[in-house]
Amino acid sequence: MATIEPSPTDLHILGVRHHGPGSARRVVKALQSISPSVVLIEAPSDVVDLAPLLVRADARPPIALLTYVEGDAERARVHPFAEFSPEYQAIKWAVAAGSEVRFIDVPAATSLALQDTNARPDAAPSAVARDPIGELARAAGYRDGESWWRDVIEEAADDSPRVFRWIGDAMTALRACAGTDPAHEQLREAYMRRAIAAARKEAAGPVAVVCGAWHAPALREGRPRSGDREILKGLPKVRTRATLAPWTSPRLALGSGYGAGVEAPAWNAHIWSQLCNADADQDATTSNARWLSKIAKALRERGYAATTDAVIEAVRLGHALAVMRDRPNPGFEELRDAAIACLCFGSEIRWREIEREVLIGDEVGRAPADAPLAPLLLDLERHQRKARLKPKAEGRELSLDLRTDSGLFRSTLLHRLRALDTPWGVLLDASGSRGTFRERWRLVWRPEMAVSLVENLVYGHTIEAAAAARLSAKMLDARSLLTLASLVRDALTAQAPKAAAVGVDRLERLAAQTSDCASMLETLPPISQIIRYGQARVVAAEPLNGLFHRLAAQAAIALPRAARDLEADAARAMWRIIVDADRAIELSAADARVRQAWRRALSDVAQTEKTTPLLAGAAARLVYESGDLDVGEIERLLSRALSPRRSRQDAAGFFEGFFTGSGARLVHDGALRRAADHWLCALDEPTLIECLPLMRRVFGGLDQVERRRLFDAVIENHSQAGEYRAADGADALWMERLPALQRLLSEGARK
Amino acid sequence: MTDALRLPAEQTHRSELDALKRTDDGPKPAGWALSPKAVLTYVMGGETPDGTEISVKYFGPTRFIETAIATLATDRALLLLGVPGTAKSWVSEHLAAAIAGDSTLVIQGTSGTDEAQIRYGWNYAQLLAHGPSKDALVPSPLFRAMETGKICRIEELTRMGSDVQDALITVLSEKMLPIPEIDGSLYASKGFNLIATANDRDKGVNDLSAALKRRFNVVALPLPETADQEVAIVAKRVAEMAVSLDLPSPKNIKTEIERVVRIFRELRNGETDDGKLALKTPSGALSTAEAIGVVIGGLSHAAYFSDGAFSAEAVSADLLGTIVKDPVRDKAVLEEYLELVLRTRPNDAPYYRALSDLV
Repeated sequence: MATIEPSPTDLHILGVRHHGPGSARRVVKALQSISPSVVLIEAPSDVVDLAPLLVRADARPPIALLTYVEGDAERARVHPFAEFSPEYQAIKWAVAAGSEVRFIDVPAATSLALQDTNARPDAAPSAVARDPIGELARAAGYRDGESWWRDVIEEAADDSPRVFRWIGDAMTALRACAGTDPAHEQLREAYMRRAIAAARKEAAGPVAVVCGAWHAPALREGRPRSGDREILKGLPKVRTRATLAPWTSPRLALGSGYGAGVEAPAWNAHIWSQLCNADADQDATTSNARWLSKIAKALRERGYAATTDAVIEAVRLGHALAVMRDRPNPGFEELRDAAIACLCFGSEIRWREIEREVLIGDEVGRAPADAPLAPLLLDLERHQRKARLKPKAEGRELSLDLRTDSGLFRSTLLHRLRALDTPWGVLLDASGSRGTFRERWRLVWRPEMAVSLVENLVYGHTIEAAAAARLSAKMLDARSLLTLASLVRDALTAQAPKAAAVGVDRLERLAAQTSDCASMLETLPPISQIIRYGQARVVAAEPLNGLFHRLAAQAAIALPRAARDLEADAARAMWRIIVDADRAIELSAADARVRQAWRRALSDVAQTEKTTPLLAGAAARLVYESGDLDVGEIERLLSRALSPRRSRQDAAGFFEGFFTGSGARLVHDGALRRAADHWLCALDEPTLIECLPLMRRVFGGLDQVERRRLFDAVIENHSQAGEYRAADGADALWMERLPALQRLLSEGARK
Repeated sequence: MTDALRLPAEQTHRSELDALKRTDDGPKPAGWALSPKAVLTYVMGGETPDGTEISVKYFGPTRFIETAIATLATDRALLLLGVPGTAKSWVSEHLAAAIAGDSTLVIQGTSGTDEAQIRYGWNYAQLLAHGPSKDALVPSPLFRAMETGKICRIEELTRMGSDVQDALITVLSEKMLPIPEIDGSLYASKGFNLIATANDRDKGVNDLSAALKRRFNVVALPLPETADQEVAIVAKRVAEMAVSLDLPSPKNIKTEIERVVRIFRELRNGETDDGKLALKTPSGALSTAEAIGVVIGGLSHAAYFSDGAFSAEAVSADLLGTIVKDPVRDKAVLEEYLELVLRTRPNDAPYYRALSDLV
C-alpha cells in the first residue's frame, strides 16, 4: 500500500458519511490495510475514556456518548452510534487491534460552555455540511444516500484509498462553493488540526483520522494553520460529566429531532448486514430479496397476503426499474416502488402502514453495566434538593397548593416520575373532586425505583425530557380515546406540553376514525376536566377546546342511532355515559352551536320510538331540565311514552329514565305529576305490583317530608280536577286503607 | 383524411412513434417495438435526440409510469387501478401503442362478458360443416395478441364475473391457451402481455380472486395531487361539455367549481385542506369524473330552472347522491363533515344550508 492521501504517508484522512454503512465498510477495510498505531475519531476529546466501554461485549448499539453539565443534565450533547456508524466500527477495530484511540474534537467541557454563551448557537451546521454525501445524492435524485454511495462512489473507486481520495476531492470542490463555515465549525477544525499534529508527533506508526467527509479537506495537511492559535485561545470550560446511554433506532432517525439523523435507520442496518456478508456472496439480488422478505413479513404480520411468489416478482420488478432509471442496482426507491406494486397490491396506504416499522425499526441498545452514574439519577437528586423533598422509605403525606410556585414544582416532579413508572408519590383523592388547586400525595421511596428510573434513559437524559418522550411513545401506541385522554392529562400535569400536543393530535385523528358514540361520549368528561384543570397550571387549552367541540358534535350526530336497540345492561351503561357527558357539555365553555347540536340530538333520542326506552326517558329529562322543551311539549312526550298503547316494559323503562333522581320535581310540577299519574292509574293490579320495585328505585331518594308532600299533591290533584268521584262508602274505606297505602309508598312492596 | 371519430393512439401519434423508433438505441425486450426508456419518453413527453418533440400524455408522477413499464418488461401482467378519471384506460392505450404498436386488441369487461369473448368462439357454419378445426375458431383479442406477440388490453376487469376473470389465470401463468376441442393449444409469442384496468372503489364490482391477483403487478394511478390541478381539470372538462351541451357558463362557475372540488377532496382525503382536522371518508370514490358530473348537473339545473344562476341548491342533490352511497354510514360521514367543517366556513354557508336540508 503506497500513499492514500496526497499528504505525508503517515497520515490518512478517512472522510466518512456519519451513520453510513458504505463508509463504515470502507473505513474498516482502510484500517486493515493501513494498520495505524493511532486512530483519531471526531468525538469530544475529554470523553475518550469511554471508548473501550462503547465497544465492549456487554454494550450493544445503538448507543450514545452523553455529555452534560454537572448538576444540570438539561444542558447536554449526545453522539449516538449505530452498529453501522463508521466511527463505531473504527473504534471497534482499534480496540481489537490494540491501536490507540483518541478523540480529537473540541472537548465537551468547552462545547457545552459555548452552547451556553451563545444562546442561539450557530452550532447547527447547514444541511450540506452535516451530510454532504446525502446532499450530493439528493441532488442526483436519490432519496437515500447509501444507494448513491454504492452506485456512484463504489463504482467510481473500487478500492478504499481511492474512495477516500475521491471523497476528499469532491468535498474540496463542494466547500469551495459553500462559502465560509460558521465560527463554531472553524473552531472545531482548528482544534482537530492541533490534535492531529500532536498525535503525529507522538505516534510510532501511521495515523488514521475518521471524520465527517465535510471536514476532510480542512484536516488533510495535518498541522495547525496560521490563525488556529488565535481561534483556540482562552476557550471557556464548564465542569461536565459523561456517560453512555442506550439509544433507539427511532431516535437515530432524522424525524426524531436528532440533527445528524438518517432517513431510514433500518435500511442502513440492512445495508450494513449485507456488506458484512458481502465477502461471502456479493449479490445484489440476495440482498434485495432479504429486504423485500422483511417487507413481506411486516405485511403478513398485519394480516395481508404476501406470498414468496410476490417477493420474487418484486425483486424482478426492482431490477427492471433500476434499468429504466439507469442505475446499476435497484436501491431504496426501486425496491419501494416494486414492493408497492407487487406486495401491497398497488396501495400506498398499505405501504405507509408498514413504512415506519420497515424503515425505522425498533432496535433498542444497551449500555454496559458499569457505565458511569446515570444522569437521570443526578437530575432527580437536583430536583429533590430544589423541591426540598427527601426520599424516605417510610410513607408520609404531602399536601400541595398548586397556586404556589413550590407546590407546582413539587407536583410537577411527582407527576413526571409517575409518567416514568417511578411512583414515588401516589396521588390520593385522584378524582380531583376536592377542587383543582390542591393535591394530596403519599410519598414512599423504594430503592428499586432508582433502577426503574435509570431504565428510562432510553427516553431522555433529564426527568423532564424522558417523561415527555415516554408519554409520547405511549400515546403513539394508544388505541382508545379514553386511554389517550388520560395520557394527555398526564402530560399536562407533568408539564410536558409537546407530549400533550402529540396526544391531542392523536386524539383528533382517532376521533375522526371512530364511529362509536359511547367511546366519544366517555372521553368528554376527562377532557372537560383537563380544560378546567388548566386554571391551576399553565395549559394551552385551545386545541383541547377544539377537540372537545369536535367530539361533542360528532357524538351528537351519532347518538340517536347509538341509543337504539340496546339490551338492559348496555342501556344502563350508556345511560350513565350520556348523563356524565351531558354534565360535561353543560359545564364546559362549549359554544352555543355545539350545545344546541347536543340538545337537538337528545330531543331526537327522546322522541324517536326506536330508542331504548330507558335512554329516551333519560334524554327527555335532560332536555327538559335544560329548558329547551316547555311544559306542554314534555307533557305530550310523557303521555305518549307512557300511554297504554306502549308495552308496560317500555313505559317502565322510560319512567325510570325520566324520573330517577328527580322525584322531587313531581312535587312541584303539576304537568309531570299528571302524566305520571295517568300512567299509574291505567295500570292493572298485577302490573302495578310488578312496577313497585321500580317505584321504590325511582323515588327512593325522596325523604319522608318530600314523600308526604308528593302524596298530598297527588290527592289534591285528583279532588280538584273533579275527575274522580268517590264511590259510595269510599270515604270510610279510604281512611281505613290510608295508613297501609302510606306505608307501602314509603317502604315499597315487600314481596 | 379519415371519417373516423377517433383513431387509436398509434395512428394519432404515428409521427412521434416513428421518431422514437428511429433514434431508439436502447435494448428492447423481445417483441417490443421500443425500448422501455423510449416508451417512458412517449408517455411522459420529451424530445428525441433528433429534435422531434414528444407530447405529454400523462400528467402525473413519473414513477407510476416507470413501474408500469418495468412490469411489462419483466413479462408480468399489469393491472392499473384507480377511481374514474385517473386516466387508466388512456395510459393503457398509450402503453400498448408504444410497446406493441397496436392498441386495438381490447376486451371490454362487463357483467355480460363470457369466456368465449376472452378465449375464442366458434364459427358455427364452419363447425357444423367441417367439425372443430382451427379454421372454425373465432379468435378473441386475447387470442390474437398471443398469436402475434402483442399486448391485449382488458378494460374494467372487475366488472366481469369472477369465473370469467379466472379464465385468464392459465394464460397469465403458463402463457398458453389450451384448446381442448381440437386437442391443441396456443402458445403466446414473445411480446405478448396483458394490461387490465379496474376500479377498486366502485360498487357492483367483482373482486379479483387471490389466484388472479397474484398474477398481476398493480399500479394504482392517483387522483390529481393538488387542488389547483384538479380544479383545472374539472374546469376544462366542464367548459368542453357545456359547449357541446349548449349550456351557458355562469360567471361564478370558477369559484363554485373550487368549492365543489374542495368538498370532494376533503372528504376523499379524510382531512381538511389545511390538514388541521381529520375526517371520515365516505364509501364512494368521489372521483374527479364525478365532480365533473356534479358541476354539469348544476349547470343544466341553472340553465333550465334557475335563470342561469349557479347555486348551491342546484348542485346539492347531485352532491348528496355522489357522497352518500351507503345510506347509513355515509350519511353520518356527511353530517359530521357539515357540522365540523362547512358550518364553520361563512363562504360555504349556502352549501351547508342546502345540504343540511337534504340530509
